[in-house]
Amino acid sequence: MQEVIKGHPQLIDALARLCPNENAIKHTADHYGNGYHWFRLATPHNIKEAAKTLKGFRARLAMISAYTNEESGDGTKELCYHFDVDGTIYNLTVGQNQEWPIVPSITPEFANADWHEREMMELYSIKVTDHPDPKRLFLDEKLDAGLLATAVPLSVMMNGASSKDLWERILSEKEQKQ
Amino acid sequence: MSISTYTMPLGPVHVALEEPVYFHLTVEGEDIKNVELTSGHVHRGMERMAMQRTLVKNVTLTERVCSLCSNSHSFTYSMVVENALNLAIPERAKYLRVMAEEIKRVASHLFNTAIQAHIAGFKSLFMHVMEVREVVQDIKETVYGNRMNLASNCIGGVKCDVTNELLDYIMKQLEVLEPQTDELYDIFQTNHIMLTRTKGLGLLPTEDALALGVVGPVARGSGIARDVRRDSPYAAYPDLEFDVITEPGCCVHSRTMVRLREIKESIKLIRQCCDKMPEGPVCVHMGKIPVNEAFAHSEAPRGEVSYYIRTNGTDIPSRLKWRVPSYMNWKALSVMMKGAQIAEVALVLNSIDPCVSCTER
Repeated sequence: MQEVIKGHPQLIDALARLCPNENAIKHTADHYGNGYHWFRLATPHNIKEAAKTLKGFRARLAMISAYTNEESGDGTKELCYHFDVDGTIYNLTVGQNQEWPIVPSITPEFANADWHEREMMELYSIKVTDHPDPKRLFLDEKLDAGLLATAVPLSVMMNGASSKDLWERILSEKEQKQ
Repeated sequence: MSISTYTMPLGPVHVALEEPVYFHLTVEGEDIKNVELTSGHVHRGMERMAMQRTLVKNVTLTERVCSLCSNSHSFTYSMVVENALNLAIPERAKYLRVMAEEIKRVASHLFNTAIQAHIAGFKSLFMHVMEVREVVQDIKETVYGNRMNLASNCIGGVKCDVTNELLDYIMKQLEVLEPQTDELYDIFQTNHIMLTRTKGLGLLPTEDALALGVVGPVARGSGIARDVRRDSPYAAYPDLEFDVITEPGCCVHSRTMVRLREIKESIKLIRQCCDKMPEGPVCVHMGKIPVNEAFAHSEAPRGEVSYYIRTNGTDIPSRLKWRVPSYMNWKALSVMMKGAQIAEVALVLNSIDPCVSCTER
């Protein structure tokens, strides 16, 4: 017997039209019968149209996951947008690359995308256009975006606090002032 | 006398709770006109840590995202891994998971209710609610050995079985707890002090709640019947009978009443778990880890918790992302606090049951 996965056929068709081919779409279900639909959109710009379509179906944005695409090997970033429509989850993936380095903000469509987009801008250094309030969420403005992804040697991170380096630095700064 | 508008800093510590968040209030006299908040004081980089640990070790890590919702994190994390691995858990484990989750929900809701009494200056009620909560704390300590992190969930089921003697003990404790929570409901529903301080305060109209995508008792207190346990049923919830509680008032009092009524529903669910507990194993082995991605969500005491995982064929995930309920509810404060007075900020803030450490991870 073929398993029927929960979902809205018209919404699935509309989102499928934004995908480059059928391989970019998959439908799964968990052991409790909850449906999960996965779409890999042709370009990051398609997320705007997808968001408008989802809004028409009274979708709720559940989460946005940013990650580094390990398979690409060049550090490109991908975003997976998770929307809830009547308990069924629609996951929309977009990939950023040199041809498509930016992603449009969906905060105008979904107000609760605000924090998600601000977080991925500062932690994953993802460029988001047309965000209504693109200020920092967690990190101080003085820190570079994506800083937390960089490897910092322990001695640098501790600012020499565990050795005589700190005092030498303070003394040299003091001497310079004099 | 003319009224001037000025910005008032509030926080970052001791605004309703001992977690740091910094408010910039634009006020006209005593009235709040606008709210902006700054967070990030306790950002712990937990998602990055999760990508350096094995799938099994992350059960322990995720249970430490939050204190009151700790069980919901290990629960949902286990579910997302099980979805990625296409793993079905035993029937008994489904009931044991629900039982632990509902015990935690009762304790969490009582804690938030107690803090509300504390902020309102009703100290004897605060102590009374915390004393009632001790009944639940005793259940946790006796059954799981811990008063906060139960360490019950694992990938494939639960770590420890609960004996029939302990199930009987839980049932007896519920008999003690239920009349006391009924009494609390009556107090919060009728007491003049609590009603004066909370009814009509911190309004979040239904349309704003929908637009902001708020979750949990904040959504249900604005009349939105949103509950993952019913909308995307998981574990043993499809087999159990419970009501999704909503209140139409959209105010601080409505959110409190949602929590107190939900305690009744949780007691009902725990009793059903004890009665219907199936026999059998409590855990299955993980099996081979594929290259996959999966999503899972559940209804924590504060609202929906979402998890997303990407596995790469090894036992270390290439990405683990989670979104906590408070993350969706913070922005609603800008609606709730408009028109409120400075002295009411702590009460309004507490009504979203905020968790800073889980928001920042």
